[in-house]
Order: sequence, then C-alpha cells, then structure tokens
Amino acid sequence: MASVASEPIDTTTEVPGKRTPLVTGAHDYGTITDAVCRLAECKAPLSWYVALAASAALMGMLFGLVGYLIITGVGVWGNRSPVFWGWPIVNFVFWVGIGHAGTLISAILFLFRQDWRTGINRAAEAMTIFAVVCAGLFPGIHIGRVWLAYWLFPIPNQMSMWPNFRSPLLWDVFAVSTYATVSLLFWYMGMIPDLATLRDRAKNKIAQFGYGLFSLGWNGSSRHWHRYERAYLLLAALATPLVLSVHTIVSFDFAVSQLPGWHTTIFPPYFVAGAVFSGFAMVLTLMIPVRSICGIKDLLTDRHLENMTKVIIATGTMVGYAYAMEFFIAWYGGNRYETFAFINRAFGPYAWAYWIMVSCNVISPQLFWIKKIRTTPWMIFVVCIFVNIGMWFERFVITVTSLSRDFLPSSWGYFKPTIVDVLMLIGSFGLFMTLFLLFCKFLPMVAMAEVKSVYHEPHGHGDYQPEIKD
Amino acid sequence: MSMNKEIMATTIEHPAENKVEPELLGLLAEFNDPESLMEASRKVRDAGYNRWDTHTPFPVHGIDEAMGIKYTILPWIVAACGLTGGTIAISMQYWMNAVDYPFLISGKPLFSIPACIPIMFELSVLLAAFGAFFGMLGLNQLPKLYNPIFKSDAFRRATNDRFFLSMDASDPKFSEIDTGEFVKSLNPNHVEEFWSDVESPKLPRNLKLGLSLFGVLMLMPIALVAYKRSTVTDNPRIHIIPDMDFQPYLKAQNTTTIFGDGREMRPHIPGTIPRGQYKDDNIPFYYGLKVLPEDQDVITIAAQDEAKADEKKPAEAKPAEGANADAQAAAEDKLASLPWVTEFPMPVTDKMMARGKERYRIYCSVCHGLGGEGDGLVTLRAMDLQQGTWVRPASYHTDNVRKQPVGRLFHTITNGVRKMPAYGPQIPPEDRWAIVLYLKALQKSHQVDADTLTNDEKRKLRDTK
Repeated sequence: MASVASEPIDTTTEVPGKRTPLVTGAHDYGTITDAVCRLAECKAPLSWYVALAASAALMGMLFGLVGYLIITGVGVWGNRSPVFWGWPIVNFVFWVGIGHAGTLISAILFLFRQDWRTGINRAAEAMTIFAVVCAGLFPGIHIGRVWLAYWLFPIPNQMSMWPNFRSPLLWDVFAVSTYATVSLLFWYMGMIPDLATLRDRAKNKIAQFGYGLFSLGWNGSSRHWHRYERAYLLLAALATPLVLSVHTIVSFDFAVSQLPGWHTTIFPPYFVAGAVFSGFAMVLTLMIPVRSICGIKDLLTDRHLENMTKVIIATGTMVGYAYAMEFFIAWYGGNRYETFAFINRAFGPYAWAYWIMVSCNVISPQLFWIKKIRTTPWMIFVVCIFVNIGMWFERFVITVTSLSRDFLPSSWGYFKPTIVDVLMLIGSFGLFMTLFLLFCKFLPMVAMAEVKSVYHEPHGHGDYQPEIKD
Repeated sequence: MSMNKEIMATTIEHPAENKVEPELLGLLAEFNDPESLMEASRKVRDAGYNRWDTHTPFPVHGIDEAMGIKYTILPWIVAACGLTGGTIAISMQYWMNAVDYPFLISGKPLFSIPACIPIMFELSVLLAAFGAFFGMLGLNQLPKLYNPIFKSDAFRRATNDRFFLSMDASDPKFSEIDTGEFVKSLNPNHVEEFWSDVESPKLPRNLKLGLSLFGVLMLMPIALVAYKRSTVTDNPRIHIIPDMDFQPYLKAQNTTTIFGDGREMRPHIPGTIPRGQYKDDNIPFYYGLKVLPEDQDVITIAAQDEAKADEKKPAEAKPAEGANADAQAAAEDKLASLPWVTEFPMPVTDKMMARGKERYRIYCSVCHGLGGEGDGLVTLRAMDLQQGTWVRPASYHTDNVRKQPVGRLFHTITNGVRKMPAYGPQIPPEDRWAIVLYLKALQKSHQVDADTLTNDEKRKLRDTK
C-alpha cells in the first residue's frame, strides 16, 4: 500500500523559499482520521469531565442571574447615571471581538491560500459561534424587558410600528445576527464531509443516527466536491468583508454619538484590529491546552502557534498605534472636550484601568519578538491571557471613562459594578467553555478533509519530497 | 390441474411476497490513492461514459478536468441572491421609515442612501450566503440520507482514506459484462456491484405515527391563531406578560374589596395631618385671622362661609349685574365681623412686591384687569358674548373692597367669593400675600391726594398721559 508517511520533521524552522509540511509525525490519510476521530469515538479523559462540570456550573450561574435580572429588572446591574452602558456593553463588544479570529482564520487565510489554517480553522470557527452566542446574550438582556426584544426586528406588530433604520444600534442587530448566521453556515458546511467520516466510522446507533442526519447523506462525490469547494470559496469571500463590517458597525454605536472619546473616525479600523488581536489571543488560549489534551499536536503544530503569535504582534502594534493616535488627535484637533477625555483616561479616576489596558495590550504582545517566547507554548499561553485581560479592559476604558465624564460636570459619576455584573461576566465564560467542550467531544475538531487535501498537495508539487513506501 | 391448484395455493398463501427482483444499479471500484483514481477517471471520460462519479475523502484537485465536470452555476445563484438581499433591504427601509411609518428625526430627510448602506450590506451578504449554502445543497441534491451505495462496507472508507469510482447502470453505454471488464482494466484494488433493494425501504410504523401526530400538533397553534384572528370576542386580550398598559393599581371613585369601607380612595386618617399641610402654628399667615389655634370655631366659620354662600345662590339664578355686585356683597357680608389681620404677617419687601405683581398678572388680571377695575380680557369677552351668567368681577377701587383688611383679601383669594373660585389650592400662601400686597398698591395708585405727591412725581404723571 502506497502511503505518504514521512519522517518526523521539526516544522518550527521555516526555511525561506522551501515548503515545510503542515503535519508532523508519521501520518497517512487513515491516521489523520484516527487522530481526529479518537476523541469523539473513545471515552473522554477525566479532565474533560472535570472541565465540563466546572463550566456547566458557571453557565448555570449565568442563567440563574439572567432569570434574576429579568424578574427584578436591570437595576441589579451597576448601570446608573451617567454610565448607562456599563458591563453588559463592555462584555458584548469583548465577546464579539473574540469571535473575529475564527472568521479571519477561516475566510481571509483561506482566500490568501494560507494552508496552515487547516489545522486550526474548525476550532477557531467553533470559537466564533460560541463567542457570538455569549455576545448576543448581553444586548439581548440589557434592554430590560426581554420579552419585547422582537421590537428590534422589522416584523409587523400590533402597534403598526417599525424600527428606526437610521440608528447604529439597529444596524448592530442586523450585523451581529448576519454574522452569527453566516458563521454558523460556514462552520456547518465545512463540517459536513467530516461528519460523514464520523458517520461511516460510528459504532453505536445513536452516533450513526446523529452524524447520519447532520452529514446530509454526503458521499464524497467529486461532482459534489466541485460545487462544495465553490460554495466554500464564495462563503469565505462573503465572510471576509462581513467580519470587517461587524466590528465596524459595533464601533458606530460609539463613533456616531457625540460623546468626547467616542466620536472619532479611527474607531472602525481600531475596533477591527483590536477584535482580531483579542480573537487570536483567545484561539491560542484555547488551542494550547486542547492540543495537548486531545493529542493532536501533529496536526496543530508549534508552527501554527508561532504563526498566530506573529498575527498578534501585528495587530497588537496596530492597537498600540491607535492608542497613540487617539491622544495625538485629541491634542492636534484642539477640541477641549476631547483633550480632557483623553487626559482623564490616562490620569483620571480610571487611570488604573487604562494602564492595565496599555501594559497588557501594547507591551505584552511585543514579547513575541523574542523567538524563545514565540515558540514556547506555555509562554504564549501566559502572554495571551494578558492580551485577553487587556482587551476586556480596553472596552471597559472606552465605554466607562467617556460616559462617566460627559459634557456636564454636574452629572459626572464613578461607575461601580455590582456583584451581578461580575458574576455574569464569569458566567459567560462558563457558557462559552461548556459549548466549546461539547464541541471538542462530539464534533470533528480538526477539518480532516482540508488537512488531508493540503497534506497531500505539498508532497505532490512542493520542494519537500516524502519517501514513498509500498 | 393439481399443478394449477398448487400454484394458486402458493399465490393465495403468500400474497404479500414481493416479486421485485433486485436491480443492478452500478459498479464500484476502489483505489488506494488519488493519482490512480485520476488516471482511471481520464480513461472513463475518454471511453464516453456520462453517468459515473468518483468519491474521495477530500477534494482532489485536477479531478474536475480529469472527469470532465462542467463549471458550476453556483456563483450566479449567489450573485442573484446577493442582489435580492440588497434590493429587499433598501426597499424595506424606504417603505418602513419613509412611507408607512415616517420617522422624522431632527429635520433630516426621511430617506437617504448613506444610512441605508449598513443594512443593505448585511442583507446582501446574508442572502448571498444562503444562496451559496442552499444552492450547493440543491445542486448536489442533498440532503439525501438514503443511498444504495452506502450498503457497501468498503465504501465506508470513501470518507476516510480510499478513493472510489462508481459507474451508474443507467448510463446508455453501460453493460454489465463490458463495463465490468473495462473497470477491472483500470487496475483498482477491487470491484463490486451495488444493487437496488428487494423491498423499498419503509419508515418504521411507530415513527410514521409519531411524525403524523407531531405534524398535526404543529398545526394546532397556527389553527388557533387563525381562528382567533377571524373571530370577534368581548373578552380582554390575554396578557401572558402583564405589561405596563394594564397596571393593577387602585383608582379614585372605584369600589374595592381590599378595604372594609369598599372605597378605593382613602379618606384622611383622623388625628393626622398630610405632609406639608400643618398650618396651626401660624394662623395669621395661613388664614389671615388674628386668633389663636384654640379659636377653632372662628377659623371654621371663615373656612365654611363660601361653601354656604354658593349653595344658596346657584350660578344660573344669578344674572349679570355688574353694577349691583358691590351692594349685594355688602348686604350679605357676614365675614366683616371676623378678626382679620390688618398688617402683613411677614416683612414687606420690594422683592415681595415684584413677586406679587408677577403673580397678579398671571392669576388675577385675566378677569380683574391689569389695573384691578374688573375689566380683564376674559370679562370683556364674556360681557361681549352676552351669556347672561357672568358676574362682572368687583373693582378693587370701590369703598367696600378698599376698606377690607388684608386678612380678608387674603381669605378671598384663598377661598374665593361669589363666582370667583378658590385659588388656595393653586397659589402658595406666600404668593397670595404677595398678591394682596400688590393689590393694595393698585388701590393706593387710584386714591392718592394730589397734594401728597412731589413735583417730580407730578411731572412724571403728566408725561405718561
């Protein structure tokens, strides 16, 4: 039997002008399938159950608090005059941002033919979906009377009333729901062939039925693959401007207002760069433990991690540039309110939050210039945790510092979160992790078909020639 | 004869036995790697077969050409869907915000393209994505959960690590023997045939029953909604969530079972004073009377007087007799004997005078006139209309009014007199005293001995004429 098995190769060293394989270790098509399906087919390790129990408990707490909020009212949050956009919006923007890396890895890197994406794109897309679920929750409940949320949608109601399409908040509804839908389609469509693989290998009836139903009768026909690849390419082409538009529109919520510190044209690109930055940090935070636990280090190699750290350096530097540019424009623009807003951010009552943000977002990613840090998984993990913290604080600083110091000093106030605010943020991580753990267990975590196709290609016409065995 | 019977007997005994012969649907050949499959595909294409396919665990690039697959029309479907999405978005925004429910915000135009762009973009992308996904499924004729090819055990590896070629028996060029030989010549791992089912696959009975029951149940809410929408009812709407349009608070003048007396409006509790209503510590200020709190009867007479007077003389029975009003008032004056205060119960200031002038112009001048002569705009209009029920307000410059002590004037403003309503509930006591002060000034302005004026003042008066 001919196979393309090869010697283990250190893929972390990239020789310019030479292609290195994307999969390390002695693998052929069958062993790739085995490696990916193992988790879905075998009993999960104890650590999975422990993690699921912990996340499910946090998720339960979140839903309990949502119930408490609906019964009692939004007064249980710390949102009070003048900071009416407190933690719920901070959390919303944070979670929407997390999602962006998934789409970026899947769509933009796909369009650029970056084949290394195949190892990580499935998990990253799943992360996108779950992050958008967490994001959607917060604006959903922060409207106060949740049962009237349908007023946001242009559907006929008994008041003969339509929503105002000139409000960025309504654009948000369309942007986030479109993003969630398209990401879901993209994710699911990518999974259909892999679900068929799981269906064909499934031993028990429930698995056969479940995977059979969701793989839609996929039989690997080349005529199907032809249309499938075209559809995938088109979806990627559609998702690329979409991912840029979502955070741009989220930034309009702020930028279209007249509040000093919000009313700036840098917001759309700055928010998008920040979103990609935080999204990649979250992908790394998830992938580093997952690849050791699930034993897929061969498919998700150190080189993948290193590539992502390079994206983090780039986007982190863009974010740092945006911070500097905001200050420069506040001074150069000569607007006194703007100048005050930025001096107040750095040296006012929220200076602590501002400097946490700056040190986490501007300084910590620069550590990735050092090759040692860039290639050591635990160090990457630590830096990425800092980036996640920093990006949450960025949204906090933008939202709260501007609102707490608006035009009228008489209405200035200091925002204090309540315990419900804090626990809901923690609970949203529980929701996210629960979904992600279920995904790891029951769905193909690596896009097998895609890995196989690029696994084959470099050997076919790349510089690297594997030994062909019989 | 006996043979016939036997045959008949078997037919009768097994009527349900399906006589359908399994039919050959095609051939399946397995290959180890994409290169050999590609090679085989070229040969099959060149041999002129039309209905055949290859099955691979991942998209093998170059096989489209090897098989002669035509380029898909999917991009056109996606483009059409995207354009539809954009069109829907812009017409929806125009119709909803500019036509059906015009939103006027800060005088901006009801419809302008820039504000529509975000939603146009989002809906274009959304519908285009639907087009890509569902278009792909539709063109591939998926979902198709049942496929006879799945019965082959070897074919399970088509989604894992093996590469298959399937020849469809419905191809006009297909013949079992020739095609079989041809496929073997392609050098596959092995070749197998796949057959149609002897019995057509049937859903389990329970599943069928369950599905129909589910279907019927699913129709019920729709049927209920349709029924409710087409019928009329007197019952109030069902509020699943009690919203703010119907709040269960108690209203004045209604009955209730909550309180023993059956009234929803609660009377004052005896021995208590509502917040801000305590007056007994300053009788002159609140009542205009020179008495102590102990003289409750005096206060009561003062307070009750007006109500009684009104009962005696209903408005209809009282014709407009501007000229006689003073005389009548004087004849019926029972309040004259009460101990009214003659001095203001607080220090008199310029500020108070200014306030009094302002309040007088707001509350009093409409009837009494700016000069207090009973010729306010309302009065003039009412006299003009000749309604016959209007009592011309008293002029302040009659002796009767001029002689009244300030306490009495205060009392009149507070409780009203004749047709004049009580202004106590509308004007705070400080302002009523200020009005009295201004009223006194008005009176004085009409009754001044010319000798008491200085030359300067005289000149001023002459100038204003």
